[in-house]
Amino acid sequence: MAKIWLDNAFWETPKKQILNAISEEEVNNKQIRQVHKLSKFNDDGTPNELFDEVIEFLGTEKIDAATAKRLEKKQAEAELEKQKKLEQERSKKLEKLFEYKLETFEIEEIKNSKNRLLKSKLRRSKSIPEVNLYAMMIVKDALEDEHTK
Amino acid sequence: MNTPSKGFVIVASRNSNFYTYAVNLMESIKDFYPEAQICLVTEERFIDERADEADQVIFCDNHYRAKLWGMSQSPYDITMYVDADMDCEHEDIAKVWDELGDNDMVFHELTPEREKYYAIREFRYGGGIEKFTLCGGVCLYRSGNPLVREFMEDWFELFNKQHNNMWMPEGFEKQQWDRDLKHFDQTTLWWLTEKEEKYKDLKIGIFRDDIRWNYFTQYGYEGLKSIEGKPPILRHYSGSLKKDVLIV
Repeated sequence: MAKIWLDNAFWETPKKQILNAISEEEVNNKQIRQVHKLSKFNDDGTPNELFDEVIEFLGTEKIDAATAKRLEKKQAEAELEKQKKLEQERSKKLEKLFEYKLETFEIEEIKNSKNRLLKSKLRRSKSIPEVNLYAMMIVKDALEDEHTK
Repeated sequence: MNTPSKGFVIVASRNSNFYTYAVNLMESIKDFYPEAQICLVTEERFIDERADEADQVIFCDNHYRAKLWGMSQSPYDITMYVDADMDCEHEDIAKVWDELGDNDMVFHELTPEREKYYAIREFRYGGGIEKFTLCGGVCLYRSGNPLVREFMEDWFELFNKQHNNMWMPEGFEKQQWDRDLKHFDQTTLWWLTEKEEKYKDLKIGIFRDDIRWNYFTQYGYEGLKSIEGKPPILRHYSGSLKKDVLIV
């Protein structure tokens, strides 16, 4: 089998100076697959023959398309990873918030408060400052109650 | 025919933190469903004014799995058992009874995508591999059905034997049994639902969109979501709370 270049080759740089390509060929009845990272020019400034071979074999349009497809895939993966991380942070924050609420509910005045509405608001609070705000309102309410007795 | 009574059972024993969690859970259920009937099963030593939130209180001892005993003591015809370390977040809690359908018991499912958050899902039995598929964090059941009530009693009693090395059925591997299985009420649940002849006719179901009814906070780490795109009804803080550390 003659050497072939897989059509998933892509540009590694926007200026198309480095190409990433995979070749396949049969040597001594063995299938050899190799990943190449090819510069357009050799160190001495002469054109890289292997680089030109890939361009000749696949054509730049195919490489452009594979590069765009790969970029799109990578961006989607990065976005998914970002979302996953965000979800994880949100969940951890929620866990901490829940513990904070439980601790707040143990404050004597809040523990004994019969003000269902404020206690419910505290329970549904989305942040620690919001919890603190409703906690203060419940304590104030309890103190006023005590004062009027 | 009388309308069957319906209510929630919440169990808080051994550790006073569970009483605090249970109080929060009761209040959160009533935030969204004020008419809810709630039976609190707890130790007498924990009781304070906050227990008034419960419509019934049953005293239990400090058993490691008082939960199972509590489930068998439900004063209702239809019961929704909920682990104490959960929080109710959605008004759909009032629709829980619709989930029973013609089932005798309804559970949350242990699926492959959720398995990393459970202590064990697969185990060796009878030369093959078996799986736990039911999670006991929440359970909706027909407690008015004598066979279901007997099931709950057996679950508790058999678990006791299992935990105290008085029961290990043939087919399990001793080493795995001792290390992974004998401490879990899940093991007993699997045995009763899969192997016990007496209960083979019980109809066991899974909540529709079951993730909403037992949303472990860790599910959020993986972005696991409701299939209908709806928010959780009951969020489970099982893996995140420091249960043995005093809250205050």
